[in-house]
Amino acid sequence: MKNRIPHIGLVLFVLIGILPFALAFIYALLYSFGVVGVVNTGFTFKFWLAVLQSGEFFKSLIYSALIAFVSMAASVGGALWITIQFRQNLEKKFLSFIAYLPLAIPGVVTGFFIFQLLSKSGFFARISYAFGWIREATDFPDLVNDTFALGINLAFITMVLPFFVLLFLNVFKNERLDELSILAQSLGANPRQVVQRIQLPILLKKARILIVLYFIFLLGSYEVPLILGQESPQMLSVLIIREIKQYDLDKISEGYVAAVLYTIIVSATVLFLFLPKRKNALI
Amino acid sequence: MYKSLAIFLIGFLLIACNGDAKKADDEQLRKEPWEQISIKATGTTVNFMMWQGSPVINNYMNNYVVPTVKKKYNIDLRISGGQGPEIVQLVMGEKQANVRNGQVDMVWINGETFFQLRKIDGLWGPFVKQLPNAKFIDFNDTFINTDFQQPVNYMECPWSINQFAMVYNSVKVPAPPKNLRELEAYVREYPGTFTISNDFTGMTMLKSFLAELAEGPKGLDGPFDEKKYKTLSKALWDFINSNKMYFWKEGETFPKEQSKMNQLFATGELHIVYGFNEGGIEDKVLSGLYPKSTKGYPWENGTIKNANYLGILDNASQKAGAMQVIDFLISPEAQLEKSRADGMDANTVLKVSKLPVEWQKKFKSAPKRNYGITMEELEPYAMEEPAPEYMIRLYEDFRTKVIEK
Repeated sequence: MKNRIPHIGLVLFVLIGILPFALAFIYALLYSFGVVGVVNTGFTFKFWLAVLQSGEFFKSLIYSALIAFVSMAASVGGALWITIQFRQNLEKKFLSFIAYLPLAIPGVVTGFFIFQLLSKSGFFARISYAFGWIREATDFPDLVNDTFALGINLAFITMVLPFFVLLFLNVFKNERLDELSILAQSLGANPRQVVQRIQLPILLKKARILIVLYFIFLLGSYEVPLILGQESPQMLSVLIIREIKQYDLDKISEGYVAAVLYTIIVSATVLFLFLPKRKNALI
Repeated sequence: MYKSLAIFLIGFLLIACNGDAKKADDEQLRKEPWEQISIKATGTTVNFMMWQGSPVINNYMNNYVVPTVKKKYNIDLRISGGQGPEIVQLVMGEKQANVRNGQVDMVWINGETFFQLRKIDGLWGPFVKQLPNAKFIDFNDTFINTDFQQPVNYMECPWSINQFAMVYNSVKVPAPPKNLRELEAYVREYPGTFTISNDFTGMTMLKSFLAELAEGPKGLDGPFDEKKYKTLSKALWDFINSNKMYFWKEGETFPKEQSKMNQLFATGELHIVYGFNEGGIEDKVLSGLYPKSTKGYPWENGTIKNANYLGILDNASQKAGAMQVIDFLISPEAQLEKSRADGMDANTVLKVSKLPVEWQKKFKSAPKRNYGITMEELEPYAMEEPAPEYMIRLYEDFRTKVIEK
């Protein structure tokens, strides 16, 4: 009897979590080789060759990875700093409410919000104009749809940083870091050593898996780069949807090639990172 | 991806065994007298997929068309949002899944989508000749009987006709550029105030530029010519690349779509934009989006004039209902309402001189535009849509040779 419940869980997991994904993947794989698709004529490597040769996919991949990396580094770094510096204050109700608030806002809203604030006709541009700092809308610097993806990064940080603040606060409590810190201090550690040798390693170790998962989540995000990104290079999901919805029906399969490649790369990364160390996983 | 899969799976569950019977019924419909079709249409629910990005269009549909077809024909018209790519994706998905009774019956399309839907056999017809109100349409007009250089062959019904126009803010730019040479001087004088949207509208502007380089409004007529395209497009990309540092955002990026370009015009970042429906000026000035100093003007070498159409999908379950709705949409009554300059402001596709005298009078006394340029004024600068391959190539090359450079 005892084994029954885990079995049901497993079946549900396969049915809801794996099966649809696997079917979608097979469908995309067949599409990418021209086996399915209304205008496709049969098995061919030409779409794969076209995608691999154009290099646009890899450019997008690197661009997306860089954006996700910068956003994660800033968010996790910022969250660590805030947690360690302002832990006591954050336990007050109002401040914790402020930390929760951004988590309740969907990505697409954050994207629009950032756009309204930072575009050349946005809130800050208007303030700058009112103060006479700029003479025309075009004088305001490029902060959205820009080459350095400033807008995208800012949106991601707004979304991710509060989450990690809350996570770290919880880890602090659950791992009794305050007690550990006091213990270390009484054993002779200075405050810097307490942060560097006790608090940081434990916080990061506990959050390791979530950091990787969030990185992957940002890598594949769609709405924010759609609103705040530029036309080239584009982040991966934007590129894939663009290819799949393109005017030239003969090339739709190239979008599926990109989708398959992306899935393989992400899955391989996840397997590589998590599988061998499964027994030591901390969360 | 998941959407396609869902359609795929649902499709498998829904594969109907009576597919052949349905096909025969549809064939029968094309021979039936209108009275019979009208009877079949009564009481049906028709699903119409159309672009819903404009408040005036939505107002016309929701507050005029939907209640009127309900009252007149007892048809429940349900409108869902979706344009070109969404329609094509839907049809492709349903075709792949062998769905016989599709979720959409009729669609609002232009030549771009017509070309794609014809390619995948997504349209049902020809049906237009059967519509009683089709007699008021002049099918000898090449801007109506030819869509992107493809004969329409009554497979889609024209709904309105319009021309592409340039739009400028007359306060900021006293003398807007009318040709490429003047554009080159203009962007240097007003850097950052001109751009090309990476969508249908922007590509249509590029077609005008391409025709100008071909030295004449008829420069791109006829079937697609690879050699001609290569020579002309090279000159075009050279022109754009040597000037794009004076474009919006120094040509490092381009707006994704026209609506974004319109917003940039409204906020004063851009001084010159362009668009179909004679530039779409009237409703935007009336709603306060554009300043009253907004004016439309023709491009010297010509801009594209074309019609937009209504089509019935091949797997539509309510073809008779869709025919009835389309017939209403091209009725003098509905077309007059649609042409009001203080409303949807769309030029009628009917030849007014073919109408009964009372309707001719009504059309003549309908509210006129106060701000936008009219199609009559643009008429001498009208250009036909070139073959669809030009559009496909421009899309691809604009990305690889301009945006990614």
